[in-house]
Amino acid sequence: MWSYVFRRVLMTIPTILVVITVCYLMLHLTPGGPFDTERKVSEAVMANLQAKYHLDLPLWQQYLYYLKGLLQGDLGASFRYADWSVNELVAKALPVSLTIGGVSLLISVVIGVLLGTVAALRQNSAIDYLVMLIGNLGSAFPSFVIGPVLILVFALWLSWLPSGGWQDFELRYMVLPMALLTFINVSTIGRVMRGSLIEVMSSNFIRTARAKGLPTRTIVLRHAFKPALMPVVSVLGPLAISSITAAVVTESVFSLPGIGKLIVNGASNRDYTLVLGLVVLITVLAVLLNLLVDLAYALLDPKIRY
Amino acid sequence: MTFKLSRSAISASVLLALASGAAFAAKVPAGTALAAKQELIRNNGSETETLDPAVAESVGANNLTRDLFEGLTATDADGKVVPGVAESWKQVNPTTWVFKLRKNAKWSNGEPVVASDFVYGWQRFIDPKTASPYASTYGAFILNGIEASEGKKAPSELGVKAIDKYTLEVKTPYPVAFLPDVVSNLNLGPVNKAAIEKYGKEWTKPGKLVSNGAFVLKDWQVNSKVVIEKNPQYWDKGNVQLTKVTYLPVEDGFADVKLFQSGENDWVYQLPPATYEKYKQELPKDIRNAPMLGLRYYSFNVKDPVMKDKRVRQALSMVIDRDLLAQKITADGQVPAYGVIVRGTAGADVTAYEWAKWPMAKRVEEAKKLLAAAGVKPGSKIKFTYNTSEYHKKMAIFAASEWKSKLGLNTEMENMEFKVLLKKRHDGDFQIARNGWVADYNDATTFLTLVQCGSDQNDNGNCNPKAEELIKQGNQSTDPAKRKAALTQAAKMIMDDYPMLPLLQYTVPRLVKSYVGGYSTKNPMDRYRSKDIYIIKH
Repeated sequence: MWSYVFRRVLMTIPTILVVITVCYLMLHLTPGGPFDTERKVSEAVMANLQAKYHLDLPLWQQYLYYLKGLLQGDLGASFRYADWSVNELVAKALPVSLTIGGVSLLISVVIGVLLGTVAALRQNSAIDYLVMLIGNLGSAFPSFVIGPVLILVFALWLSWLPSGGWQDFELRYMVLPMALLTFINVSTIGRVMRGSLIEVMSSNFIRTARAKGLPTRTIVLRHAFKPALMPVVSVLGPLAISSITAAVVTESVFSLPGIGKLIVNGASNRDYTLVLGLVVLITVLAVLLNLLVDLAYALLDPKIRY
Repeated sequence: MTFKLSRSAISASVLLALASGAAFAAKVPAGTALAAKQELIRNNGSETETLDPAVAESVGANNLTRDLFEGLTATDADGKVVPGVAESWKQVNPTTWVFKLRKNAKWSNGEPVVASDFVYGWQRFIDPKTASPYASTYGAFILNGIEASEGKKAPSELGVKAIDKYTLEVKTPYPVAFLPDVVSNLNLGPVNKAAIEKYGKEWTKPGKLVSNGAFVLKDWQVNSKVVIEKNPQYWDKGNVQLTKVTYLPVEDGFADVKLFQSGENDWVYQLPPATYEKYKQELPKDIRNAPMLGLRYYSFNVKDPVMKDKRVRQALSMVIDRDLLAQKITADGQVPAYGVIVRGTAGADVTAYEWAKWPMAKRVEEAKKLLAAAGVKPGSKIKFTYNTSEYHKKMAIFAASEWKSKLGLNTEMENMEFKVLLKKRHDGDFQIARNGWVADYNDATTFLTLVQCGSDQNDNGNCNPKAEELIKQGNQSTDPAKRKAALTQAAKMIMDDYPMLPLLQYTVPRLVKSYVGGYSTKNPMDRYRSKDIYIIKH
């Protein structure tokens, strides 16, 4: 298995290179540059700005310059936030996103799997309809609707929690954004788990287990649960990435200083280095999470071996 | 060279010199009970791009540098120029100003602020290596400024000199009557050379930033907050009421309002579109709204085959009902505009078209005649370009409906991302495009840059050489009245060419807690120093 892991990690290098190259070209092909502002700067000032950030060099030289920095772990200087390097910006935003996204995902997995299991085992019962309702609500209502409703109830009406902002990992500032992300993720995980378990429970090997006289509890926990988790594990990769790095709406609604906000601002400001730095980060995360998902398959399914 | 300073110019200098003995800070009205806790939370609209005054560009960055640093002059809550580090100044000849610095001004590390700090700050600002976006904007008012910003002259050749420790001499390329206003901008502030040389790029970080303003930097969490505290070394600290100001970088207007409603923000940056009337009803004590020196307008590309005909541009401008637009469409207190100069601008009068007073039916009739004479028939297509935003979309739909219903013209609406629009506008790749301008300083010349020949800010591509000459003559004059007359006439001449379609004068509708004192709605530049603000007992 370790050689498989090693090969997969090695594979990240060409993946990152391809992603950076494509992203680099796309950014430079997009009309409008980092220093195009409502107040147009003079040609001389534009030349000064471009020289400061090496944009006066031919594109291939800029690209090599960037790659050289990247190899040394330097993501470059932000074009927009002049006082900060991209490394500093990412280092400040990542812990926020990891905490909010990571914790909410963990809670979502526990609640989602539990609700999905109960719903599958009590198919067409009241609890099943409740789980399906939560699932459909979470899918149907976008986060920019649920978020403000949470703020209205818990911050403005009840005054229990702040309506937004961030204060050094203070729990009360994290509760509402985590609740929002959890709600959305639970709806996905719950629905997938329910569907998967219902399907597994109607399989031949479960019928065999029942015929052998095994109690339902043993059948579910020992035989059905593991294979039923496979589709859940499959969706966890994309869910983790979207919760950690692409929670743009959540970050905007609750004014959180996370990765999602940085990437949106970076793209709209044409902050090439910031966007590229974040793309590198997201690519690495995606590759690693997908690797973890693949390894989890092996644990869940004895037919899979690496 | 001999010259004669006008009486009003001399009076202005003398008045300011006399006034310099007084303190210019939070004016707490007699009988006002102040809160024990003098702390303010203020949204700044977005994350500041820098705390280095030389390269600060956005409104948010300037709000912060205005609190952290102090220039030769400053502007108070009513937008009036007041002494800053300079306690007096005098225009000793048309192109030379002498600023006398106060001897009790100190850096936050206790060292005195001296004339050479300004010389260093200005030379650093103009240096191409610093790459300040404003280098040519303000450099244009200092002798050799443009050449130095382009690297054609050394920064040391800039027209600023320390005569002695507390006397600064500034030379301008022509008589810049509004120089005291220009030098209130912190791009032209002092910076601490020793701190910059010691910390390099890190000099603006908490614990390292040495500043000379009413506040010092305490904490800076990117995309979360910037916290500043009262500067114990500040020369006028006795008149600074606030002990702590927290700047938030909230971009989402609705999130901003919710933070305000839940008591976590005292100062909304700007209300979300179409909410002004709602909050005016719901929070009448907190609502604040006032016109500022800014203009919403549409640019006509005068090089476009259709728009090159002045009659077409005039017809399109005549039929837009600005009153209806202001009252029913934007509905946020903005003022209809018919000229490039907006109300409250110093250095020129507001100009307006004669037809602005006509009934709409007469305007439409005249506009139809103009279009017919230009050979543009009803049913013809025009193209309008704007950046994606509900606000701009609403205005664009209104304009298109006016052109359709009154002139029979079909408008193709093209919306795009802001940066793409900027690129198209700067490249002249449009027919009619959304545009806007907020004054950098309170003088007519900031607005005239929008329509002057060859100006970087002129997206229309128009040029009126006679008006250009008039502007030049006005700027050479040392008589404020003559200058004003020349610039007003030039503005009218240019606007008679219809290079742009002026629509509305900006207002800034926002919510500010009723217990926040010192906020004035007479501030044309919408620039508020925290020094002027205080918290009333509540």
